[in-house]
Amino acid sequence: MGRWRFARGLKACAAADDEVLTRYAAAAWPSPDILAREAPLLALDFELDGLARNAHVLQAGWIGFDSGGIALAGARSVDVRSLRQLDDSAVAVHGIGEERARQGVALQEAARSFLGDLAGRILVAHGSSIERDVIRRISRAMFGIEAPVRAICTLHLERRISPNLVGSDAYRLSAARKRHNLPGYAQHDALSDALATAELFLAQLSRLPADVRLGSLESW
Amino acid sequence: MASELSEIESFLKSTAPFDRLGDEQVRAIVRKITVRYYRSGDEILRSGEHNDFLFVVRSGAVELRLAGDELTARLEQGGCFAFPSLLRGGEVRNTTTALEDTLCYLLPADEFHALRKSSQGFRDYFADSEQERIRSAVRDLKCNRSQSLEQITIGSLVPHREPVSCSPNLSIADAASLMSDRDVSTLAVYSDGRLKGIFTDKDLRNRVVAMRRSLDAPISDVMTPSPLTLPEGASLSEAMGMMAAGGFRHIPALGPTGELRAILSATDILAHLGDSAIDTGMLVSNAASPDALIAASRQIPEGFARMEAGGFHAEHTMRFTSALGEAVHRRAAQLAEAELGPPPVPYALLVFGSLARGEQLVGSDQDNGIVMDDAVDGAGREYFAALGARVSDILNDAGYVYCNGGIMAGNADQRLTVGEWRDRYSRWISDPDEDSILRATIFFDMRAVHGSAELAANLRSPVLEQAKASPLFISYLARDAQRSRVPLGIFRNLVLEKSADGEKIFDAKAQAILPIIDIARSLAFSEGIAAVGTLERLDALADAGKMARGDAESLKDAFLLVNELRIAHQAAQVRAGIAPDNRIAPATLSPLERDYLKDAFPVVRAGLESLKRNLAGGIA
Repeated sequence: MGRWRFARGLKACAAADDEVLTRYAAAAWPSPDILAREAPLLALDFELDGLARNAHVLQAGWIGFDSGGIALAGARSVDVRSLRQLDDSAVAVHGIGEERARQGVALQEAARSFLGDLAGRILVAHGSSIERDVIRRISRAMFGIEAPVRAICTLHLERRISPNLVGSDAYRLSAARKRHNLPGYAQHDALSDALATAELFLAQLSRLPADVRLGSLESW
Repeated sequence: MASELSEIESFLKSTAPFDRLGDEQVRAIVRKITVRYYRSGDEILRSGEHNDFLFVVRSGAVELRLAGDELTARLEQGGCFAFPSLLRGGEVRNTTTALEDTLCYLLPADEFHALRKSSQGFRDYFADSEQERIRSAVRDLKCNRSQSLEQITIGSLVPHREPVSCSPNLSIADAASLMSDRDVSTLAVYSDGRLKGIFTDKDLRNRVVAMRRSLDAPISDVMTPSPLTLPEGASLSEAMGMMAAGGFRHIPALGPTGELRAILSATDILAHLGDSAIDTGMLVSNAASPDALIAASRQIPEGFARMEAGGFHAEHTMRFTSALGEAVHRRAAQLAEAELGPPPVPYALLVFGSLARGEQLVGSDQDNGIVMDDAVDGAGREYFAALGARVSDILNDAGYVYCNGGIMAGNADQRLTVGEWRDRYSRWISDPDEDSILRATIFFDMRAVHGSAELAANLRSPVLEQAKASPLFISYLARDAQRSRVPLGIFRNLVLEKSADGEKIFDAKAQAILPIIDIARSLAFSEGIAAVGTLERLDALADAGKMARGDAESLKDAFLLVNELRIAHQAAQVRAGIAPDNRIAPATLSPLERDYLKDAFPVVRAGLESLKRNLAGGIA
């Protein structure tokens, strides 16, 4: 069903009269049957102003990569403008205060930028449903059309690779990275988290059979 | 403001050689990096392939094997590899494998070459040869250590001894006896945890005795109230300026929370600026009694720490410290003679090991013996037994503790006639075995520090001749040198070699200095070279054409480099009141110093390899 839904979503994008969406639809989307090692990927992370379904995006960080490596030249990070009164507890986590939030770029501009880079790539995120939902929501609000997203969730993957760990903390991004001997990074910066997730996925991929197919890792 | 890749940026800034680049340069190259992950056991580069990247280990560890075979190095976080292939145009010689799950940062070759062009520091770091790299490392260390008055803090100058203090109500008489009991010239007057004033010897003279004050008056009446203070991080020049401007000789140095840490006196500064080694030397040479000698000798570690703080180079610190050690030994023998009467026959006090080589630091035990004229009789032997025992005892009290291995004049087998010593050396040389060589190498670094130089020379020259003519003995020496475990990729290797208490320690003496000493000694004996010091031996070998000049220079540099680190380590221990040792925790070294060490080890290893090839042959 997922594949069908994705294809239908792309069709709607193709018919839209916005260049970002038509290009998104026309991108060379990889077949689910290719090797996961050959897949074009994009690690993406949002910092939100809360956990609510209508939470605002304050910051987006993303970076394209594949199993051959992560070229930092492609790393992008934007602060997104928000005029909303910010929730103090969220500010404490991501460190983006109201003043900084007011100076960010418009959400539409940010969205055009990351949708452009996501075209033809599989989104990689730790707990990818959040990023996927946000993208759909933004796209619906901006264009009236939900851009479909193919994603690999490193959190699910980690549960597959190390299934019997006690407690949900063991599957957090930093704990998972530690198991794969990856360095400790400061968290709650969108780009830093995106890079951390990309590295985690490379580590996870090295633990999967060489012939693992893209389709068996992604959700639609 | 968009966030940048600050994690990677700050990692590079703390990692050699990127720490030599400007902030802008680092920020720019971060964008050129590709991140790759290798699983433990993955082959990263293969000998014979083409490579276009400089690799930096971000986490994990890798192993380099020349042509996939001989272990070249192990690297952990912060280590760089594959640059020799870039310098050669791409051809890889070391097969590199991930020892652990490893994250690497890859910098493209053209960026690498651009940085070499634009940054002198970066270029020096990747100098084409190990020799050049280590030379620039020694140069760097010397620059860093040559501090000016601006850079030396008063906290580093004054040893952290608890200042003697009293309350403002204490009577002058009690305060004076407190100063007398604690043997201090300055008293800190405290109340409510605050420094209220200071009181000095000079105040006692000028404000109490000369003014005929009652000794029952409180000290607060005669102290200098609210003295000017400085934080202990203040520079020496600040302190000198304050003293000069205020016309006083003492400045309390305060810790971070305003607590009194020490009182800096003009004498401390003079001692620092003056040649403390010479001052102590005078005290030693003029010591009128064993107690005076012991007291003078006990100052040597502090003088050593001051030399280090003053930016003395390793060779000077070693030479001064050895000269003082020699003076203490000589004076101990003179004082023992004064107690026991003149010696019945000519003799000489011999020293062995580091003191003989002029390479002593602090905390060494004593290694010595006595050579007597062959004409000595039974009564004479008893005299030297008493003399040897006395010398050993004085030295022990003076800080040169008894030798665990019994190599000291207090033991009968260390008091021999010229003929007996010759026989002993002759047995070691003509009939070597692994065990006796192990225990005898120290005897082959020998020098007379007191008494008849002629006796010592009569002993030394036949030993040199016989050794040179005994290839079997030389090959045993050369093989003995191979026992030392020179770390490979150093810190990775040290992790594998944890000490008994689980701490990761680099033994600077056993793992770097001793092998160099062994190399120089083995080769010097094979050529009949009389020099005893390691640097002198290496020079003599190069002069004689027995060692390539470049190899000799590299070994000298490695020797000095590791000794610089040892000296800094021991000086810090002396300042902290800890018994000095050679066990350096890698974490206490800067990334740059670690890199220097990584360059030094291949030099030592190459020296050992060459020694093995040339001299140790013929023995299984």
